[in-house]
Amino acid sequence: MFYISIFFQYASQYLKTRLTYRSDLVVELFSDILFQAVNLIFILVVFGHTNLLNGWSREEIIFIYGFFLVPYAIFSAFFNIWDFNDRYIVKGEMDRILTRPVHSLFQIIIERMELESLFGVVTGVAIMFYAGSQLGLELSWYDPFVFLLMVIGGSFIYAGIFICLAAISFWSDSKTDIMPMMYNIGNYGRYPVDIYNNVIRFVLTWILPFAFVGVYPSAFFLGRTEWYGYAFLTPVMGIIFLLIAYFMWNAGVKRYRGAGN
Amino acid sequence: MNVIEVHKLRKEFKSFSSRSGLAGAFRDLFTRNYKILRAVDDIDLHVKQGEMVGYIGENGAGKSTTIKMLTGILTPTAGTVRINGMDPHKEREKFVRTIGVVFGQRSQLWWDIAVQESFRLLKKVYKVSDEDYNSHMKEVIETLEIQPLLDKPVRKLSLGQRMRCELAAALIHNPPLLFLDEPTIGLDVLVKMKIRAFLKEINRKYKTTILLTTHDLADIEALCDRVVLLDKGKIIYDGRLEQLQKNWVEGKQVHFEFMHPVQESSLRELTSQFEVNWRQGERPNLWTATVEGEDEEVSRLMSEVMSLHTISDVKINQVSTEEIIRNIYEEGIVNG
Repeated sequence: MFYISIFFQYASQYLKTRLTYRSDLVVELFSDILFQAVNLIFILVVFGHTNLLNGWSREEIIFIYGFFLVPYAIFSAFFNIWDFNDRYIVKGEMDRILTRPVHSLFQIIIERMELESLFGVVTGVAIMFYAGSQLGLELSWYDPFVFLLMVIGGSFIYAGIFICLAAISFWSDSKTDIMPMMYNIGNYGRYPVDIYNNVIRFVLTWILPFAFVGVYPSAFFLGRTEWYGYAFLTPVMGIIFLLIAYFMWNAGVKRYRGAGN
Repeated sequence: MNVIEVHKLRKEFKSFSSRSGLAGAFRDLFTRNYKILRAVDDIDLHVKQGEMVGYIGENGAGKSTTIKMLTGILTPTAGTVRINGMDPHKEREKFVRTIGVVFGQRSQLWWDIAVQESFRLLKKVYKVSDEDYNSHMKEVIETLEIQPLLDKPVRKLSLGQRMRCELAAALIHNPPLLFLDEPTIGLDVLVKMKIRAFLKEINRKYKTTILLTTHDLADIEALCDRVVLLDKGKIIYDGRLEQLQKNWVEGKQVHFEFMHPVQESSLRELTSQFEVNWRQGERPNLWTATVEGEDEEVSRLMSEVMSLHTISDVKINQVSTEEIIRNIYEEGIVNG
């Protein structure tokens, strides 16, 4: 309860600050939309030459892309920890975090949220509806609930992986370039995993399970029964990865050495 | 009851020392040389409620590391810490509700938002009720004279203004124990005095225990009855400030400014019958004599020196605390 109220306190403060810089907000939303448009055009261009990719049609791929945008938007709104090492370890901001009576990871999440990224949810859902109508998909009463479950699972997976990467900073304070690389790998989850070779497929399913953020859960809505098992693993994987990240984070905080003055 | 109970507290840092040259860098890839650095070395510390303790030492003596262990930021390598009856590391979130922390070199406030918004968020974070906040903070705000600053964002404040706001922010939940890590660093005399007066006031009123580190010994003189002196991770003195002054040197310092440069040997020879210690100042014609013994000794020494050398200025001082501390660090001993 306390955490929920603190979350809303920070969120309202965040909105207040953002609204005072109106032009920034508009520019950011605009560049966000542009970025997503470019991605969509890329998919359209690829399918300009072929209509089928290993048995997946163009509309299906667009649908997967649309789905992927939703958990990704939630992840980018709340888990801006890609610069954790710089901002909190090197600059010593972690000291401040640790003197406050709220869990350190939660504080960082609410301090660094970027709510305008949630706009991606709208884009994602719009794309899904467009692709879905092209495919003639029917909407059942339980679909929204399953969708919610899948989205939460997907964002947990993303969050889990990136929290683990951030927690590495507690052990080694040297800079690494893993973060941007991981953003790239994350994009592979947007495409059907059976187009990749087996090793990559295994990695994307069990080690860096980005496939659970895009293709597996979408398979449920696309009615591809052969993937249902994986689809329903999505929330489970999400919880497992978030738990791993949580324990790794707590272990890391114990190792925190602080920055010198 | 002791507010702070520290027993055999130790913190070691493993640091990697790199070899020199390219060949050395290659060897570092495979086998690394680690040095274990003991920043805090088995210290014991007990602080009672309502005490104001000055925690002093040179840069790198381990002050900040100790404070960070006491506030639950760093995990100790060994030893036990009990503060306000809790272990700062095991129950961090519960524990930090009972302390206030100010780091002079780091801001607790949100950079972009108005000071009062920061206060409001902290009030929620510390679960302070409206009544408590209003009755307690009204006074704090008045005493620190920050009312006109409340609607300004922190980034627009001067350092002195910001520090006063930081202090207020650390007191929102009216903690019984306050840690201040160099709270007066870089501030002008007026702000320093305001802050000192304020700390005295809350100590008197709420029996707030205060542990502060500082490089400005005037802070310690103004505030603390008790000092803890740290050197290379060990406590080398723990006791009353006057005791330190008394034990270390009785006597006076005489500062001579001669017309011409003077040799140390000639001064020593001239004053060999006195218990005196000569130290050269910044220029070859500036000398300081620390005289132990009666006041008459001082005047006899002065007449002796002035009979042989022409002087342009002379000053007599009590030995300053700063001088005492410097002596202790240079000689590494505490008498008594």
